[in-house]
Amino acid sequence: MITVKLYGLLRLDSGIKERRLEAAAMKDVIQDLTAQGISPKDINGCVILVNGKPANKRSKLQDGDVVQLLSPVAGG
Amino acid sequence: MESKYAGYMGKVMLVDLTAETATEYPWNDEQRELYLGGKIMAARILCDHLTGKETAFSEENWMVISTGPLTGTGAPSSARFNISALSPQTGILASSNCGGSFGFHLKKAGYDALILKGKCNGRKWLEIHDDAFIFHDAGDLWGTKVGQCQEMLIRLIGKKKFGKLCIGPAGENLVKYAGIISDERAAGRTGLGAVLGWKGLKAITVSGSKTVPIYDKEKTTAWCKKWFAYLQSHPLTGKQLPRVGTAGLVSSMQMHGLLSTKNYSAGQYEDFEKVSGETLAEEYNIRNSGCLTCPIRCARTVSVKGQEVKGPELETLGLLGGNICNNDLQKILDWNYELDELGMDTISTANTIAWAMEANEKGLWDNGLEFGKTDNLSQVFEDIAHRRGIGDELAEGSKRLSQKYGGKEFAMHAKGLELAAYEPRRAVGQGLGYAVSNRGGCHLNGGYLVIMEGLGLNADSQTPKAKADLTMLFQDLMETISASGQCLFTSYAFFPGFLLTKPNGIITKTVNAAVPHVGWAVRFINKCPRVAALHLPVFHHTKMIRLATGMYMDFGKYISIGERGYTMERYINCKFGVSAANDKLPKRLTDVPQDPNNPKTKIPLETMKKTYYAARGWDQNGIPTEKTLRRLKIK
Repeated sequence: MITVKLYGLLRLDSGIKERRLEAAAMKDVIQDLTAQGISPKDINGCVILVNGKPANKRSKLQDGDVVQLLSPVAGG
Repeated sequence: MESKYAGYMGKVMLVDLTAETATEYPWNDEQRELYLGGKIMAARILCDHLTGKETAFSEENWMVISTGPLTGTGAPSSARFNISALSPQTGILASSNCGGSFGFHLKKAGYDALILKGKCNGRKWLEIHDDAFIFHDAGDLWGTKVGQCQEMLIRLIGKKKFGKLCIGPAGENLVKYAGIISDERAAGRTGLGAVLGWKGLKAITVSGSKTVPIYDKEKTTAWCKKWFAYLQSHPLTGKQLPRVGTAGLVSSMQMHGLLSTKNYSAGQYEDFEKVSGETLAEEYNIRNSGCLTCPIRCARTVSVKGQEVKGPELETLGLLGGNICNNDLQKILDWNYELDELGMDTISTANTIAWAMEANEKGLWDNGLEFGKTDNLSQVFEDIAHRRGIGDELAEGSKRLSQKYGGKEFAMHAKGLELAAYEPRRAVGQGLGYAVSNRGGCHLNGGYLVIMEGLGLNADSQTPKAKADLTMLFQDLMETISASGQCLFTSYAFFPGFLLTKPNGIITKTVNAAVPHVGWAVRFINKCPRVAALHLPVFHHTKMIRLATGMYMDFGKYISIGERGYTMERYINCKFGVSAANDKLPKRLTDVPQDPNNPKTKIPLETMKKTYYAARGWDQNGIPTEKTLRRLKIK
């Protein structure tokens, strides 16, 4: 089971905080989120972390991984 | 003196609080071209006045309240004004910028700046209306919190549309980190509220009937329209900041190990989601709001005890959240409001509290404060503002407390000013900025390089390469933006949107990889700004000044003004003894890796400082050379 956590505008726009799903690679995650109504463009606009480490949309996943998707931010 | 340039009202007033008089202070067009306005104008005035012997609480400590040429012109996010003086917190030059409407109304009254000298006979407030400067006894205003004070001022003036600024109990009681409040916005940092309190001036109101002249009205309006549209289409200024505000940074900082946690002993807080910008937006935010003429509208409006009030910024969320191990967001909203009402800087307050919690934990000072224990904090804030019990000691800030009790290595300040919420061991360029910043531990005055070190772009956050030169460029840019009267957030659109919306794209990856190797190119622009005699398509500021004021401006001249301002502020600080030895950070950041398994996760400060001083034309002791001072026309 993979845990997918959404942050920033991706989360606010979609209303989805978290998804739990079976996935072998990031492409499965993207497919799932797209099915939830999130546009692939918005997903591509996110920084992707797997278990806190930088990843990309071609990354493989393992059972128990935590995927974090974060839209760009700045401004303090 | 009247100006040939539009945008300016042509008058700077020297207000003698002791004699209760106001006379014109000479300020000419040559100075306007060299120093523009705002904080750089203030630095010039204070540079001419200060000798290095003055203290913050003395009649010779002039306070300069200044606007920029774009304040009141309708340019995007141009409602800003600046306050400068010697800081009681740092003992060196203070500057603090505010988005309240005071600056706009000051210009409507016909003034570009006010200089406050001397000290009131008793407790006063000052009413300015066009040419009239009227001193009133503070009476019942003294002792009020800022909300009540501003309501009373509305009743006293008899109308709602006028500019006002005031101090709260913290300023009256000389809390070292007391701020000045205008409407709901704060000039929060560097303790300027205490300077006003020492002068015995509770508040200033200003109103007038003049209009700000504009050089080419038609083209200015068209350029503003284009710029508004650009800001509103940009992923940061058009989407993130309006939707989540600065609070949206909490999650990103967590991901990048940048979120100050337990007095900066770590960069990630396990309960960050409970105090994040997303949670604030989903569960607490009523609507977003903003300053005059601002299309970004980054402010939050939240509910505290049934009342709609300003919500917390990222700094407050981070420093009153993970940094004191508090995961209760409603409490942060309450404290943010309470601290504003007391007129006290949330950053320095929270940092001082975190230091005191750690000092208590380590057995250095038995003060009753504990990480994660929050039920007593509202009372502690009141006690600080009124200097009661341990509040009297906490009112001195973390630097002085650590000198008394020990624990300097975890007193998280630079030059006496407590750091912002960015834990810089995962963004070493930001660490350099904190150390060399003219006003002390400030993220913005430090250059805000973190925007390229994980937030926004994702360049190598641990390498010192190119960081010194980029820090100088960003500091100078922001110096001029501030001096023009605009908000620094307009600078975020400097980064083309596609770099931010395609973080995994080939162009963004190439830019990220290139950043550590561009030091020489940035150095060249910093040294020879004249080669940049152009308007950058992503940087609308230069053309705006040209159209609104009639003053020649291009990108090179713009950063030259910033460089002049930054080095002049340094020169003032040097009069008060600042040198390389003062450009330092707590040992926790320079000697202890954030990740025990990765020795790179600490700040290689001395390496970056050497490059930085060379880039700026300062000697290796951090003192601007005679040649540099003359080149920049400071001397």
